[in-house]
Amino acid sequence: MDEYIIEMCNITKEFPGIIANDNVTLQLKKGEIHALLGENGAGKSTLMSVLFGMYQPEQGVIKKNGEVVKINDPNDANRLGIGMVHQHFKLVHNFTVLENIILGVETTKHGFLKMDAAREKVMALSERYGLSIDPDAYISDITVGMQQRVEILKMLYRDNEILIFDEPTAVLTPQEIEELMKIMKELVSEGKSILFITHKLNEIKAVANRCTVLRKGKYIGTVDVASTSKEEMSEMMVGRKVNLNVDKTPANPGDVVFSARELCVKSHGTGKNVVNHVSFDVRKGEIVCVAGIDGNGQTELVYALTGLVEPTSGTVTMNGQDITHMPIRKRNAGGLGHVPEDRHRHGLVLDYNLAYNLVLQNYFEPRFCKNGFLKYDAIYQYADKLIGSFDIRSGQGAKTITRSMSGGNQQKAIVAREIDRNPDILIAVQPTRGLDVGAIEYIHKKIVEERDSGKGILLVSLELDEVMQLSDRILVMYEGEIVADLDPKEITVQELGLYMAGSKRRNVQ
Amino acid sequence: MKNTQQHKRLTEKPGFSNFMASLLAILCGLLVGFIVLLIADPAKAFWGLGAILTGGFSSMKNIGQVLYGATPIILTGLSVGFANKTGLFNIGASGQFIVGAYVAILIGVKCSFIPGPLLWIVCLLAAMLAGGLWGMVPGILKALCNVNEVIACIMMNYIGMYMVNFLVQLTVFDSLKNQSMAVASNANAPKLGMDKIFRTGTTSSSVNAGILVAILAGVIVYFLIEKTKFGYELKACGLNRDAAKYAGINEKRSIVLSMVIAGALAGLGGACLYLAGAGKSIEVLDVLAAEGFDGISVSLLGLNNPIGIIFSGLFVAYLNQGGFSMQVYGFAPQIIDIIISVVIYFAAFSLLLRGIVERVAKRKEDKTARPNANAQTEEGGGAE
Amino acid sequence: MNTWYFLVQQTMFFSIPLLIVALGGMFSERSGIVNIALEGIMIMGAFSGILFINVMQSLRIGIQPQLLLLIACLIAAAVGVIVSMAHAYAAINMKADQVISGTAINMFAPAFAIFAARMIRSVQQIPFNNTFRIKSVPVLGDIPVIGPMFFRNTYITTYLGFLILIVSAIVLYKTRFGLRMRSCGEHPQAADSVGINVYKMRYAGVAISGALAGMGGLIFIVPTSTNFNASVAGYGFLALAVLIFGQWRPSRILFAAFFFGLMKTIASAYSGIPFLANLGIPNDIYKMIPYIATLIVLAFTSKNSMAPRAEGIPYDKGSR
Repeated sequence: MDEYIIEMCNITKEFPGIIANDNVTLQLKKGEIHALLGENGAGKSTLMSVLFGMYQPEQGVIKKNGEVVKINDPNDANRLGIGMVHQHFKLVHNFTVLENIILGVETTKHGFLKMDAAREKVMALSERYGLSIDPDAYISDITVGMQQRVEILKMLYRDNEILIFDEPTAVLTPQEIEELMKIMKELVSEGKSILFITHKLNEIKAVANRCTVLRKGKYIGTVDVASTSKEEMSEMMVGRKVNLNVDKTPANPGDVVFSARELCVKSHGTGKNVVNHVSFDVRKGEIVCVAGIDGNGQTELVYALTGLVEPTSGTVTMNGQDITHMPIRKRNAGGLGHVPEDRHRHGLVLDYNLAYNLVLQNYFEPRFCKNGFLKYDAIYQYADKLIGSFDIRSGQGAKTITRSMSGGNQQKAIVAREIDRNPDILIAVQPTRGLDVGAIEYIHKKIVEERDSGKGILLVSLELDEVMQLSDRILVMYEGEIVADLDPKEITVQELGLYMAGSKRRNVQ
Repeated sequence: MKNTQQHKRLTEKPGFSNFMASLLAILCGLLVGFIVLLIADPAKAFWGLGAILTGGFSSMKNIGQVLYGATPIILTGLSVGFANKTGLFNIGASGQFIVGAYVAILIGVKCSFIPGPLLWIVCLLAAMLAGGLWGMVPGILKALCNVNEVIACIMMNYIGMYMVNFLVQLTVFDSLKNQSMAVASNANAPKLGMDKIFRTGTTSSSVNAGILVAILAGVIVYFLIEKTKFGYELKACGLNRDAAKYAGINEKRSIVLSMVIAGALAGLGGACLYLAGAGKSIEVLDVLAAEGFDGISVSLLGLNNPIGIIFSGLFVAYLNQGGFSMQVYGFAPQIIDIIISVVIYFAAFSLLLRGIVERVAKRKEDKTARPNANAQTEEGGGAE
Repeated sequence: MNTWYFLVQQTMFFSIPLLIVALGGMFSERSGIVNIALEGIMIMGAFSGILFINVMQSLRIGIQPQLLLLIACLIAAAVGVIVSMAHAYAAINMKADQVISGTAINMFAPAFAIFAARMIRSVQQIPFNNTFRIKSVPVLGDIPVIGPMFFRNTYITTYLGFLILIVSAIVLYKTRFGLRMRSCGEHPQAADSVGINVYKMRYAGVAISGALAGMGGLIFIVPTSTNFNASVAGYGFLALAVLIFGQWRPSRILFAAFFFGLMKTIASAYSGIPFLANLGIPNDIYKMIPYIATLIVLAFTSKNSMAPRAEGIPYDKGSR
């Protein structure tokens, strides 16, 4: 009767304009690791938010141990023993680890916080499950890996028995991922049940018992992981056969087009070098990848290279010219293209329409601007051209407000804008983050095309698959330094992970 | 058939629902005002409301007074609205206004050797310069030191008020009346015959060329914001400062320039109020110039759109004029400020009001044009 | 020495209301709502409190003055809460621009105070008899040095102010309520995910700010004036500056409030300080000092702002 600890039956959840979940069913057995597989935007997170009480479904019921339950808010979910590690951690940056763990379930005496009892319980849990943490450290000072352990401890502290992990591996090294898998298995052996949201098939194969697949908000099916091949699952996820390998001929590097020498960037807060004496070259016709765990100085390095921050010392050269202190406008005009890490923060003015965004880097050129007045006809013509050639889809064409476009099409717009400017060096930071397979394939193809037409490409990525497939050369960044310069054909993902974790280094240059 | 299509095109425009939202906010404000009148004196409440609504149109002179009253607040409204395009809340229009007014009067008194209406123009330009400088301070503090512009502007208001009080007493003081001296007659704005049109019997109104200056300023600001490269850059800074920087726009310069222009507009407003030949002078009182704060109301009501601001400025001036007429019935004129503040409060709900307007418009469409369901879902997605 | 005592006593009159109102602002902003309406709420609080005192005094009810003042404080606080709810509703439920709804309240308050005063009392100013001054606190007032500084020529509200400071610090840092409130101002999504009702906490924050601002308005008027004329002289805005200078933390707010209180004292009481009176600098220049000092201080302290991260951003359950 109660084979399933949690059942979500025929859930439908709509948002204005889209149906995020369309009649989806998910059944979790007690003591299993159940994977929820789907592309970005398939509705996985929405479904989990429904289970966690953050959204109310329009239709469908949730059952626990066979009984229908109503989950109105996260408190209800917590009472039912459901806990969740969110994809974007829900941690308060200026609270301590301990404060974050107890937030919402504080023990008090006359309204005053009683921290000592909580501390004991947290430390006991931390030891029992091997989740080492410093309870008095502030969240803003600890690594992403430790933040994740805090999130797991939050669930354990609440004695949750149904644990939801939303894309938990996206920010971890291969070694940390292995560690997490071990923890997950241990949790299950202690009687917990796990829902594991991911789009990575290797991980499902490694830990999951069963797998439910969603596509475009619809329920596709539930399969037994051991008896289903990766190819079958990927076809269920995408709806067609996918060629996950990037077609690409060997690189044919030419002259050096872009280089950094002894580049340093000091952090505002701590005064430490977040970019520490970084030197490298990028040649024409090659894709150089900067790999590393998030937060090891990649962001600041790119800011310094593109002019968003002043480096503390060192030089940047492009086409043989020193551009270290050049204004951004001049760098861009001189042949620098930049697909920024955060497309909403830097890449787009979301409340401008698509055409305005497509000329964001060159609206001032004579073809779009005369005597200080913008030439609207020319701008819209140009926008229509890019929309056509880069297949950017939007509700009202060039006049669409960019905010209302999908993430994939927003990213395509940025890529279109940067590539069409015909830069000599293209710096692309996580260009495929959060996109579906179709968009990823497309952007990868464009990047390889650019390389083949003789451009230098500097790609910063956290996705190891992307790094291995796309790069001609890999620079590994760890704590602000470049610790290795590798040939992707000669190393394995495991080895790369060791460099990224800082446990191995190879002298560079 | 043709009719429904036209109706549809109108209701689908964002401008329409914005306009309707403003109208709803105004109705709410009038309703609250009426309730307050009812509580204060039920017997005369109707007459009071009637006076508010019709006072501005009751005579040619009053129409002229509305135009005169609208002049400074259109300009301060443009000041607030312009800064808003760069994402800045210019609550400092009051200080910029009074500083501009002082410089205009100073030149109007001391430089009477400049011939004819040229003196007036010199005064206006000097007032713009002074207001611009006053606006520049919060701009620079914001751009370079990350100082919250709202606080900086408020401080500049008080500094400006006390400084003008001090300087008036030092330079152009009429100690008998405790106010600034009268300016040379050619420093006042030309009447351009408007005093002949807008008058009742022999008493003419104070309307003058200033209103044309205000309208012209509105049109110029509109073109600046909507049609030029400069406007593109300012708006980019206002909507997303980081993206503007990424695109190579000097965002610090944009912030400073935007505040300078906003300050210049407010300063111009100050000059236009006092150089009207209406006998108005700067009084030495520890009170902030109300016109600067009226500018906030005007700008919000006009949805920060320069052309909208011209109309909302006229509207607020009309209400103020109605407030004077209402005093006949023994009501304090502050009721007008109460009405306007309620209107602003509800205008802050614009998201909700706009939503209501759109829903109503859509329901009408559903009835008239059923088959076109596709377009509607698309619009729904865009509205999200 | 007498000048020194005078200076300290005056500084108290100006600092205590700033302290109370800035602490109010702190609760609102640390829950995530920018409350630029402090000025308007102060006016409404002062108006209702003074009106109450005026009515009680004109009725000649034999009530102990200190008790009368404390009751007036409670009334001012209650009115402050009511007015602040208008802001909370706009900012929290309607997701309105918080600066706009605050501006509306700032405009409404003086207009309403004048209108109501003229309708009720037929004049704009509401006078009151200042019977609240404590010449000397028994025992404590006789302590050398400290006595004249802190326990003579004082008001009960001064001690109320310090009490509010201590309670505020404890509530903010030592209680469940404070922990939850701070989490709503920094990361409302995180708070929501652990079952904290963000809307409720924000309402609570704004309500506390309303109570303290309303009370602060009255506490500002009583020692520094003999009537109320629909104005608190920009004190609500100064309190915002104190809040920012105080980096949203009680201990630093105390320091900031006394810094500005001292500036304001110099501006208003320089004629009582022989050294400053002899300089012959015009009155208006002194009056500018607090505002110029604010600007300078903000220029140096704004770079590394510790403002609550989610401040001013409406929380929408739907957005993640």
